[in-house]
Amino acid sequence: MHQGDGAPAIEIRDLRKVYGDKAAVDGLTLTVPQGCFFGFLGPNGAGKTTTIKMLMGLAPPSSGSIHILGLPMPERSLEIKQQIGLVPDESMLFDHLTGGEFIEFVGRIYGLDRALARSRAYELLDLFELGSMPKKLIAEYSKGMRKRVAMAAALIHRPKLFLMDEPFEGVDAVGARLMKDILLDQVRHGATIFLTSHVLEVVERLCERVGIIHEGKLVAEGLMADMRGTAETLEDAFVRALGMENAAETLDWL
Amino acid sequence: MTHAGAIIWAQWRTFCHFNPRRGVTWTALVSLIWYGIWAAAAYSFLRVFSNPNELSIIRIALPGGLLLIFLYWQVVPLMLATTGSSLDLRKLRAYPIPDAQLFSIEVLLRITGGIEMVLILTGITIGAMLNPGLSRWSVLAAFIYVAFNLVIAVGLRDMLGRLLARKRIRELVFFLVILAVALPQLLLARQGMISPQLRLLVTRDAWSGWPWTATSNIMLGIQFWPSLMVLSAWTVGTLAFSRWQFSRTLAFDSDAANAHDTGDNRRSWWSEWFFYLPSAVFKDPLGALIEKEFRFLARSPRFRLVFLMGFTFGLVIWLPMVFVPRGPLGGFFVRNYLTVVCVYSLMLMSEVCFWNAFGFDRSAAQFYFLAPVPFKRVMAGKNLTALFFMLLEIAMVTAVCAVLRMPLGLHRFAEAYSVAAVVMIFLFSAGNLLSIRQARGVDPGNSIRTGTAGRLQALLFAIYPITFAPVLIAYLARYAFGSQAALYVVLGLDAIAGLIVYRIALDSAVRTADLTRESMIAALSTGVGPISN
Repeated sequence: MHQGDGAPAIEIRDLRKVYGDKAAVDGLTLTVPQGCFFGFLGPNGAGKTTTIKMLMGLAPPSSGSIHILGLPMPERSLEIKQQIGLVPDESMLFDHLTGGEFIEFVGRIYGLDRALARSRAYELLDLFELGSMPKKLIAEYSKGMRKRVAMAAALIHRPKLFLMDEPFEGVDAVGARLMKDILLDQVRHGATIFLTSHVLEVVERLCERVGIIHEGKLVAEGLMADMRGTAETLEDAFVRALGMENAAETLDWL
Repeated sequence: MTHAGAIIWAQWRTFCHFNPRRGVTWTALVSLIWYGIWAAAAYSFLRVFSNPNELSIIRIALPGGLLLIFLYWQVVPLMLATTGSSLDLRKLRAYPIPDAQLFSIEVLLRITGGIEMVLILTGITIGAMLNPGLSRWSVLAAFIYVAFNLVIAVGLRDMLGRLLARKRIRELVFFLVILAVALPQLLLARQGMISPQLRLLVTRDAWSGWPWTATSNIMLGIQFWPSLMVLSAWTVGTLAFSRWQFSRTLAFDSDAANAHDTGDNRRSWWSEWFFYLPSAVFKDPLGALIEKEFRFLARSPRFRLVFLMGFTFGLVIWLPMVFVPRGPLGGFFVRNYLTVVCVYSLMLMSEVCFWNAFGFDRSAAQFYFLAPVPFKRVMAGKNLTALFFMLLEIAMVTAVCAVLRMPLGLHRFAEAYSVAAVVMIFLFSAGNLLSIRQARGVDPGNSIRTGTAGRLQALLFAIYPITFAPVLIAYLARYAFGSQAALYVVLGLDAIAGLIVYRIALDSAVRTADLTRESMIAALSTGVGPISN
């Protein structure tokens, strides 16, 4: 039996990340059960990306603890990374590789042998409808295509947990639908998904649990139905959680 | 080393895609010439070291030669503001690759900073193996010495990279590096010959505890076991140091390191005055364009470092030539010190001012094509900004020369500034064309990574002689006619020809930008592979 079986997929305790005298993440405590589709929401600069960077092992926390699949981060980071699939921000892609080459590269880094990595890479390209342009470089991809190739690469080693930073940003409706179907299928097979997103409609339709972060603190967390409460949409609940219902003002000359 | 195989494969694919076929051929040709020259030098060393009659010279020269190899490997890359290829840790840290493997790959990549020295050491070692008067253990000594250089290069690069990533101590570190580089030259220069301090470093009777003397002693068959222990101790010690530095780099969080500056929005009156200066001289939109360039470049660590290097490294490098005025070459440097340093500064600055004018603030390139401003005016704004910083650079060089009481005079000012002006005109012409045709993104926040791609380096190999040819002709005219007036007449003609070339090149660049805007923006918006140059 694996050490992490039965443990929450993500367990964060009193996590802080301080830059100078400003806390980007301030005492975050959060548990994401295994097999859960979790949406992590917040306005710009709230601390979403800093949190996901700490989960990915890209930024060390100032204090607090992170356990992923029952293993402490960063002490067991290598084992953790082996079991997670990442959809990082676009700058982490290698622009001068083709989509197929990038996916194959990621597969090999996760320990797949070359032939298997290559065959899976081209199957994934077809699945994500990128197979018709095998020689196109990632540099030439549109934003949505870049997100698709990043997601395809995240799937190649069949991870138990996905960490996704804005996976639907810039993706068209068809692409988003395709990605959603694939992600839901992964959750049905027991995977856990932790994603940040600005697209609240997508989060509302996909996620069963949601957490809202504002100025580094978790201001709301729970099941989607509970979060929405009496509000008509998640957007209304989100704005209410942030206390910004009447925030909009206009300029005299505008 | 599964990961190493995957990383190298991905980098190879990146290289193949990055360089179109024509570029690969051109780069290969220039590399062949460059490394061919070094291979020829290595063969010469092989001949010398294999000759038993040259033993007395070998004994005298070997420790100093090995020290020069060390300096070339470790210091020259810093002087050129480049440290060869290295792993792009930002992209690789997210994946399950053991730190030890990353470190091993990084050590091997340090070869790219000193391939020339590997060739020379190979020549020396084969020569030593063929020479009955030298030790058969030379190959072991050379192997350990290469390992020592590779390992220490990782540690120094990582340490320097982290220090240079910290805003407030970056400049201080840089001056300490300059001091370290300058010290041996200044010691040499002040004594006029090898000083007692340098004797401890480079001569045959130097302290046997240095890695280069230990390597030399093994090759010469002197004190084999103690020398081997010394060399091994240095290598193991630097391995521990570099491994520690590499771990610190992996854990380094540049956002956290610079966080104290993020909340400081106070602006000094003089910097605001400096930024508003262009708008006082030029009408908008040109004034606004130049002001934006001023603000961006002044805040770019890469630009600031190169600007600082322009009037510091240049002076340091050429200073010994002035203190040792023996022979025609020494005399030339005394007479033309200001000119030489000014031209050297222009060459250093050219990477950030000429060759890739859109690369630093690459996101702005798209805006330039969208904004209701003729592209020619954008180019003019870039050129005027570069001109301002070039003139400031030359003024700084002159000021430092004056502080150091270097030989200056009106005619020296006139000559240096005239030569610099002509060189600048031709650099602008070539730079405008290259900035459009060879546009590529550069990280303005990265102080020590080179921004010059292989293909561009190959092009510069051909362009520099062309841009300097008019000045060379002017000096030939002075030599032929024995008159300073001849120099100025030819420089004047050069300037007129240069302005015509500049006008043609500018028009061509603007037309090309209009035709290739899509590919240019795409090139500017792309990053690199797992290993970056």
